[in-house]
Order: sequence, then structure tokens, then C-alpha cells
Amino acid sequence: VTRTIWLASYPKSGNTWFRMLVANLSATDKPVDINDLPDRGGISSARGAFDFFTLIDSGLLTFDEIDALRPRVYEALARGEADDEYDMPPETPPVRFAKTHDAYARLATGEALMGGAAAAAGAILIVRDPRDVAPSLANHNRSSLDEAIAFMNSADAAVCGGANRQHPQLRQRLLNWSEHAVSWLDQTDIPVHLIRYEELQEDTAHVFRRALAFAGHEATDEQIERAVSFARFDELKRQEEASGFREVPRPTTPVKFFRRGIAGAWRDELTSKQVQAIEAAHANVMRRLGYPLAVETRKPGEAA
Amino acid sequence: VLFYRVCGLGVASEIALPGLIEDRASAPAEVTIRRGPVATQLEGAKAKGPTWEAADGQFLLHIPGVARFLLSDGREIVFAPATEESLADIPIFLVGTVFGILLHQRGQIVLHASAVRVQGFAVLFCGPSGAGKSTIAAALAQRGYPVVTDDVCAISIRPGVRPLVHPDGRQLKLWAHAIERLDLGETQGARVRPQLQKFYVEPRQAYSEPLPLGAVYVLREARPPHTPGIEKPNIVDAALTLRRNAYRPALIARLDQKEDYFHAAASVASAAGIFYLTRALDFAAMPEIIDSLEAHWRDLGLREKAA
Repeated sequence: VTRTIWLASYPKSGNTWFRMLVANLSATDKPVDINDLPDRGGISSARGAFDFFTLIDSGLLTFDEIDALRPRVYEALARGEADDEYDMPPETPPVRFAKTHDAYARLATGEALMGGAAAAAGAILIVRDPRDVAPSLANHNRSSLDEAIAFMNSADAAVCGGANRQHPQLRQRLLNWSEHAVSWLDQTDIPVHLIRYEELQEDTAHVFRRALAFAGHEATDEQIERAVSFARFDELKRQEEASGFREVPRPTTPVKFFRRGIAGAWRDELTSKQVQAIEAAHANVMRRLGYPLAVETRKPGEAA
Repeated sequence: VLFYRVCGLGVASEIALPGLIEDRASAPAEVTIRRGPVATQLEGAKAKGPTWEAADGQFLLHIPGVARFLLSDGREIVFAPATEESLADIPIFLVGTVFGILLHQRGQIVLHASAVRVQGFAVLFCGPSGAGKSTIAAALAQRGYPVVTDDVCAISIRPGVRPLVHPDGRQLKLWAHAIERLDLGETQGARVRPQLQKFYVEPRQAYSEPLPLGAVYVLREARPPHTPGIEKPNIVDAALTLRRNAYRPALIARLDQKEDYFHAAASVASAAGIFYLTRALDFAAMPEIIDSLEAHWRDLGLREKAA
């Protein structure tokens, strides 16, 4: 049976990059087309899989009614049930990496929204310095930096949570940036493997290899090296420039999905006030995840 | 008891079905809808999903917090509300999900589609929930093409001639945002469910006789690698895409309808045509989309009167 591993992250933290790495494990002579990634099962918030399995229009249910049924959908996917009417029998890769931006939340019944151990064998949590997430999120949402920071600091933050229209995806509750990471790290339903975006960038092959080992996905050194080179940031960006990326939030705007991908770029993108707003809200979890606070690393005499 | 016509079938219902037009001429009914006790499981279930079970001639659907529905032999729907308060939530599920499953149970070809009338033909827009079916139908209605059906579309296949589409005069349903963007505020009716900002919109179309099928458009968003335009898939892709746009594609294999949909696709493709309509999900693009559809209808000869 295919093992399901959640690929969990706050938005703009390297989730898509990781999926590109996985997709390129099977590439041979050239990088996989970024618009041709297998997306069976898709993201946890995919409306299609929900409607397919439940036979109910998610668009006619309230957010809470949808959430109550989501564990059942994830269990069906974990059992390998097809989520669409295909001609071919589904392939059975050793591991199905399922993307999610949802926080690891509990329903009113106490049940895990993500379905607990019945829905996945484990989770890889990718975290990124929140000070680098903010500019990327602002770009993605076409919002101001201050708005992006307010979103990251809000315990009510959700994606696709507006009630006056039907969003392309189901509502995803993120909680605030800290709570999102902690919800995954501190749950005890399934084992979790932590990846820091910055380390993935620094030594991609090593960090990727360890993540694959956690997931139980075999890969040769040669496959890993090739995937790392085929999924380089500049290659992903090149492909997006050349032919667009189907996962951009709004294809009608010029906003690019792959922006800078630089660790520590916040130093020239955020004002010190913005840095403070993030650090004040997330100091504990930033320390826990190994992101030194600017306020603590400033050298004596350096201006605030 | 109230009488309606739903997807071409006469229906007698114990509860009112908003969004449909009462029609005494629909008696005697081919389908009855009534309130009654519904078991939590089916004897001899052959297929199951998270919210449903299927046995020979019987289908059980559970919408948590709303109701259980038992569908028997394609002729009877019994519903058991979760609570007295949930009664108000039941009609929208009855005329959509539940009736759609009943049509599958009857072996009918039923697409997840909204449709408008172009001259005497029914033109269908298919896609999953959120694809923009109702929105495009509403925009076309503003341009003078009457709505034929919304969300559920039953089709009868006839050898050698155009398939028939069964209208039922159901009202379009739109979200508040779409109503605002299409400037349809004056036509906004009741909410489809008390908790949702989704509304019925006027006008209702009178029930009409079955219409010959003019064309089927499968809606796609213009996202790389797909660019805007109307495109005709090859017959293999057309057959697969029609099946994927069945009202409830999960039921096709479970209810042994694969063959039926294959034949339907061949018939629809040769008599009317199956096309991809790829466009930006952007209200501002709507006039341009409608222009391209009208041009396509001229090419297809649909601007003439139906034969």
C-alpha cells in the first residue's frame, strides 16, 4: 500500500519546491515541466476530492460541515481510493506526498481534522523564517507587507475563508504563524519530520535525502543529485517566466509564484518596525525553530 | 402534496421545493418525495463511501446535520431530517445531490451542467462545483438566452439524432459576490440555505418540452498550459471528459454505467459536439467570452431554428 505523508507548511515556505524535488526524482534527461506535476489527491483543501467522495456539493455546506467530513475524505485517499473518474488504474508509488497548508486542528468532537493516523503515516513540516515568509506572502496575495504580517499574527487567519463566494479550494484554517508550526510539531497522532527552508537551501541533497528516508521513499544518490539540480530555484523561475505556472493564485495578474527564494532577504525588505512586529508575536517559536531574533543578535552600539 | 417536473420527471413532494415551479400537469408522479424514518445502514450494501451506501435498487445518503435520504428504485425518496430546524436545509439538497443520484440510479445520463437555450437548442456548460457554470448561464441569460437548467442536466440519448435535454425550469443559484459583479441585485431571491450567502435569482423559466442538444462545453480556467479559446478534444478525451463531468462521477463505476457514458459521449460528440471552453475566471472577461460563444454557435449552425 502507498504510504501517505503530509507535506505540511505555512504558505510560501517551500512546499512547492519540495514537491518539485520529489517529481524530479523520476526525471531522466530534463527537468519535469512545472505544469505537469502529478496532482492526484492534490492539496488537502481540494474541493474536487471532497465532492467526489462524499457526493455532496461542498459549495452547499458550511465550513464546519465540510471540516466534519474532511477526515473521512483523507482516510479514503490514504486507502488508495481514486478521487476522480480515470481511465487508467491509479499508479501506486511507494509514498504519496499530500500537500497541506491547514494547521493541525481538532474538530469539536476532538477528532483531528487531518484524520490522524488513519489518514497518513507521517508528516514533513517545512518551516521558513517568518521574516522571509512575510514579503513572499505579500507578493502572493498582492497585499502590503503590513497586511501580510497582520495575517501571520492573526489566530483567525484562513485561506479561502470568505463567505460571500465559492472559493476554488476548501477553507483552510492556518491559525497564526507560530500556532501553525506548533500544531504540527506537538500533535502526537503521527510522526513529524521538521525541515527548515534555509537548510533545504543550504544543503538540498542532504536535507532532501533525510526527508525521503523519513517518508520511506527509496532513492539513489544519483536520483537525488539529479532532482536537486532539475528543481533548482533558477530553473523553476525560468520555466515560470517561459510558460507560466498553473498554481499562481490569479493567472490574470502578473504576480509570479517563484519570486526570490533567498534566505535572509528580509534584511533588505522589511523595516525594523515590521521585523519587530513579527518577532514580538513569534519570539518563542522562532527561538524554538532556530531563527535568532534581530533584537537579540544586534551588536552593541548598533542602531535599532 | 405538491407536483413538480424535475429533469423531465413528474415529481410529487410532501415538502415545497423552492427554485422549481409547481406544475399540476406533472401528475401522476414518476417520483415521490416524502418524510419518513430512514435506517442508518443498508442491508446488503455493495458499495460505500464516507456519506453513502449503495445496494441493489437502494441508495442511502447521509448529509450530517441535515438529513438521511433513502432512494429506492429510482422512484421514491424518503428523507429523515436531522432535527426540525434542518427541514429548511433539505430542499436544496433534494433537488440537487439527491435527485442527481436518483437519476444515476435510474440509469439516466446526467451531467454536472447548467444550460441555456440558443434558438431551439440546449447548450450545456459542464464543470465541477466552482467552475462557473451558473455564472456563465446567468451572463448568457442577461444577453437573452433563457436558462434551461442549473447544475443538474439530464440527457436522453436517441440513436442517430441529437440527444434530448430535459429542462425543469429550475432557478439559477448564485453567490452574493457573483450577483454583485453581474449586477443582478434586483433579481436576487431567497437564500438556498439559511446559513449561506448563495441565492436563487429570478427570472424563473417556464418549463418547456425537451430540447435537442446543441453543444456541450466543458469549462476550464485559463491557467498554464491552457490558453483561452474553444477547442475540440479528440474523441477519446471527449469520452473521458464527459464521464468526468457526470453529475456524480464516483457513481458511474459503482452503478455500472461506464458503458452508458461511453455511448452517450459518442452520440453527443457526433450529433452535437463536445468542446473545451477555456477562459479567465474573471467577470471582466465575460462579454468577450459570450462573443466567442456566439461566433462558435454561428459556425455550428445553432443560430438557425432547431429542426
